[in-house]
Amino acid sequence: MTEKKIIKTTCKSCHGGCGVLVEVTDGVITHIEGNPDSTTNGTMCAKGLSSIQHIDNPYRITHPYKRAGEKGEGKWKQISWEEALDTIAAKIKEASEKYGPWTVATSQGTGRGYNRYTHRFSRSMGSANVISPGYICHSPRIGLYGLITGYGRLYCDYHGWGGVFPKTQISWAKQLEISSADSEMCYWYMKSLDYCKNLIVIDPRATAYTSRATLWLQPRPGTDAALALGMINTIIQEGLWDKEFVENWTYGFEELKKRAEEYPVEKVEEITWVPKEKIIQAARLFAVDTPGCIQIGSSLERQANCGQTLRAIIDLMGICGNIERPGSMVSWVLPETGLIEDVFNEIPLTDEMRSHIYGGDKFKMGAARTCNPDTIIREFNKGEIPIRVWISVGGQQIVHMASTKQVVEGLKKVDFMVQVDQFWGPMAEISDIVLPAAHWLEMDDIYDMHPRFMIEAHNKCVDPPGEAQSDAWIFNEIGRRVSPKYWFKDVETLLDYELRKAPVSWKQFSEKIISGCFGPDQVYYKYKTDYWRKGGGFPTPTGKMELYSTVLENLGYDPLPFFEEPGESPYSTPELAKEYPLVLTTGFRSPFYFLAQYRNIPWLRSFMEYPTMQINPETAKKLGIEDGDFVWIESPRGKIIQKARLFPGIDPRVVAATANWFYPEAPAQGFRGVFISNPNVLTDNNHQDPMYGSPDLTCLLCKVYKCQPEELKDPQYADIFTKEHGGRPWAW
Amino acid sequence: MRWGMVINLVKCTRCHACVAACRIEHFLPLGMNWPRLIAWETDVPGQELTTVPVRCNQCKEAPCVEVCPAEATKKREDGIVYVDNDICVGCRYCVVVCPYQNRTFFSRDKDPGYFPGYQRTRFEKAGRKLFPHVAGTTEKCDFCMERIDAGMAKGLVPGKDREATPACVNTCQARALTFGDLDDPESEISVLIKEKNGFQLHPEYGTEPSVYYIDGKIGNAPSNIAPREAQTAAHMQHLSTMEERARQIFGKK
Repeated sequence: MTEKKIIKTTCKSCHGGCGVLVEVTDGVITHIEGNPDSTTNGTMCAKGLSSIQHIDNPYRITHPYKRAGEKGEGKWKQISWEEALDTIAAKIKEASEKYGPWTVATSQGTGRGYNRYTHRFSRSMGSANVISPGYICHSPRIGLYGLITGYGRLYCDYHGWGGVFPKTQISWAKQLEISSADSEMCYWYMKSLDYCKNLIVIDPRATAYTSRATLWLQPRPGTDAALALGMINTIIQEGLWDKEFVENWTYGFEELKKRAEEYPVEKVEEITWVPKEKIIQAARLFAVDTPGCIQIGSSLERQANCGQTLRAIIDLMGICGNIERPGSMVSWVLPETGLIEDVFNEIPLTDEMRSHIYGGDKFKMGAARTCNPDTIIREFNKGEIPIRVWISVGGQQIVHMASTKQVVEGLKKVDFMVQVDQFWGPMAEISDIVLPAAHWLEMDDIYDMHPRFMIEAHNKCVDPPGEAQSDAWIFNEIGRRVSPKYWFKDVETLLDYELRKAPVSWKQFSEKIISGCFGPDQVYYKYKTDYWRKGGGFPTPTGKMELYSTVLENLGYDPLPFFEEPGESPYSTPELAKEYPLVLTTGFRSPFYFLAQYRNIPWLRSFMEYPTMQINPETAKKLGIEDGDFVWIESPRGKIIQKARLFPGIDPRVVAATANWFYPEAPAQGFRGVFISNPNVLTDNNHQDPMYGSPDLTCLLCKVYKCQPEELKDPQYADIFTKEHGGRPWAW
Repeated sequence: MRWGMVINLVKCTRCHACVAACRIEHFLPLGMNWPRLIAWETDVPGQELTTVPVRCNQCKEAPCVEVCPAEATKKREDGIVYVDNDICVGCRYCVVVCPYQNRTFFSRDKDPGYFPGYQRTRFEKAGRKLFPHVAGTTEKCDFCMERIDAGMAKGLVPGKDREATPACVNTCQARALTFGDLDDPESEISVLIKEKNGFQLHPEYGTEPSVYYIDGKIGNAPSNIAPREAQTAAHMQHLSTMEERARQIFGKK
């Protein structure tokens, strides 16, 4: 007798959010497909579908381990959960008493639901040193929307709930069509394009949707602020701004106008390499064909001019009145559950916690919540020990942070490190204790989307492998041992607590799956109501949208946006450019991987076996490089190997390297091949954004040359490049 | 009735979800791909090299049917060309004769499992019962004919109702795939082919493929007015709730 059931759940293979139906036959998952009764209408991508290969994947971490050799030696001894948790709690207490709670850091991968646990956990211990990739992804835009409009979460209105879709869309350094990094917005974005008059893609290289676009602007990486200011200037000079909105609802237009005058299109063309006609055309389309929205990509947040770049773009939205009108940038009304992240907001940061935020004195915007990870690495390399205990969940700081070699050297000096993960990777190999984490098919949890207009349930479909546990369980268990007053008797109680504002328990919600605020429940033009401010207005000090930021002024930053050259560029470092003549951007993403994940999922690895770099055929010809050759990409910091793809859609002066690459199949020694192909081996952590501390990850200089066949036989990586299928223990 | 598919090359993001959905739907062994994305050279400046999603074209004049000595490759009345793997003798004439190279010979010795040297996963094992693949025979896309048949038996319409529609079409987030009846001039795909000048790959081969492609810029929509069902989010309304504070201010619900 076969027992077959369909479980409704929610995917979290990227930021997640797509509704999923999982067919479980006699305890085995036999089918996965999209749930038609969800916001994503039953669609799913390759990453989510391939989740099936997480189940029974022999490379999963199944038990807690403690290190039995040197860091990176790959020698481990299996231990019990009891021993692991007690050891971790004892180490935290010891460091906290001896050196202060701020020497205990909690780190995470990209914000995917466990944010609220890492922050609650860290705050409950008395530390604000959460090490998160937020400063190079998403946090700056949230913070700056917050400064300028007073409310920190503006998202593109792809839904048509206000009666119209955006008429003009700008996709700026973003491939929402494949990355879905603002949750399940990918589906909505593509749907909204059916109603879009102008799609403007701004990207240094051709992407899937540049062919669909009305207009494609191809800027030099790192010059986006100049482009945005040039567009602002054009709009103001031609009198195309939204007079009603600017007059009544913004502050500092005259000052912005004056600043923008410093960016005439001729100058902007010189800086950005974008022909001035295209800049003017883009500006006109965005200003005239309203409503419009701008989808910001995180590559803009991986530049040392990140803060002012985003300021300029947000001001561009503002002068066109593209705030809170249907089809523009909207902050959504929350579902009845309120802000799920209040589960950590309810523990406020104390002055003591704040005063020990690393980098807090310098990067004042980033320090509103978290420390600056690069500052910590620099401290270590100066011989200080800023962090004694490091609890890491999911993320691969070694892979995504600038200057991989420095990060590894720094992390080796942490007294005690814990990695919570599904698979062995560089962060696990450098840790002292490794804890097995459950996959989303194996856990009960609450999914909280970035735009925050709904929450969904992750429902457990099958048991995790071995002794693996969900992130919620792991944090709750460590929390119970360290700061019991803030933690719960079990995960169900914790989930009930997260839903406390709504009249539902976790059990009820898990059946309901989604709670959101859709269609006529959403409200536009909130600044004209009492929602933010009694009598209307924006919740800023001036009550208006601050094109000129009074808060930044008080913090000692320039209140108006400006452009600054990247730390390395043909113009800022012309001498260096003689030896390293090509501009390198490291923001190249593919639809099969999410950040550092999935190189060990056979179905997904089959789509892109080796990290690929794009180079213009003209440049390649000069360098003697042919399509499919392995090449060296070298910067003053080091060199990496990637496979060359001759690609006419990139400027001959620019090359793009695939981001976030390590080789899960490589041995533990060498930290799973993290130095072989990861572009952050090439990046520098010294040139940082003054507000957020974001380093120049996506705009630097490099040289490229062919990798000789005998070089690939170096024993360090010979297996990867010379054996069939890289000698990988999985196949396709 | 002749089932066909239209692939919108501008909407398609090359995300490979169609490939993954097919692998799940049919428990495909490793190395076996029914739909694929292949490199394609064009004359369009800046896009000289792109990729194009392909799958069995379900040709009207299918050479694979002609050439099969065992009569294992058959064409149904609804135009679907399929392989009866119980009859197939594995001669691979069809693999050679398909001008689109959309057929794959399945050889067990080339199927080491997802994780060679380890136990097959439970999903793989379940697949051997639920969708057995016969070693030594040839396979290809059959437009998910089991789904079509089962769905139609329930009175559902392929291309409209999910249960009667191929898995790849259902999963496509870009909505780049459209499925329907080529013989019906009113069907969505017939209209698309007509209005957007749908074309077949290599029509000169003379096999009359049932898979069409459409191209050309879109995103020049005549209007950005949201249709009523989008405005009301009708299908999501049963899940809609509003936070208390907003309810007090806006007085909804």
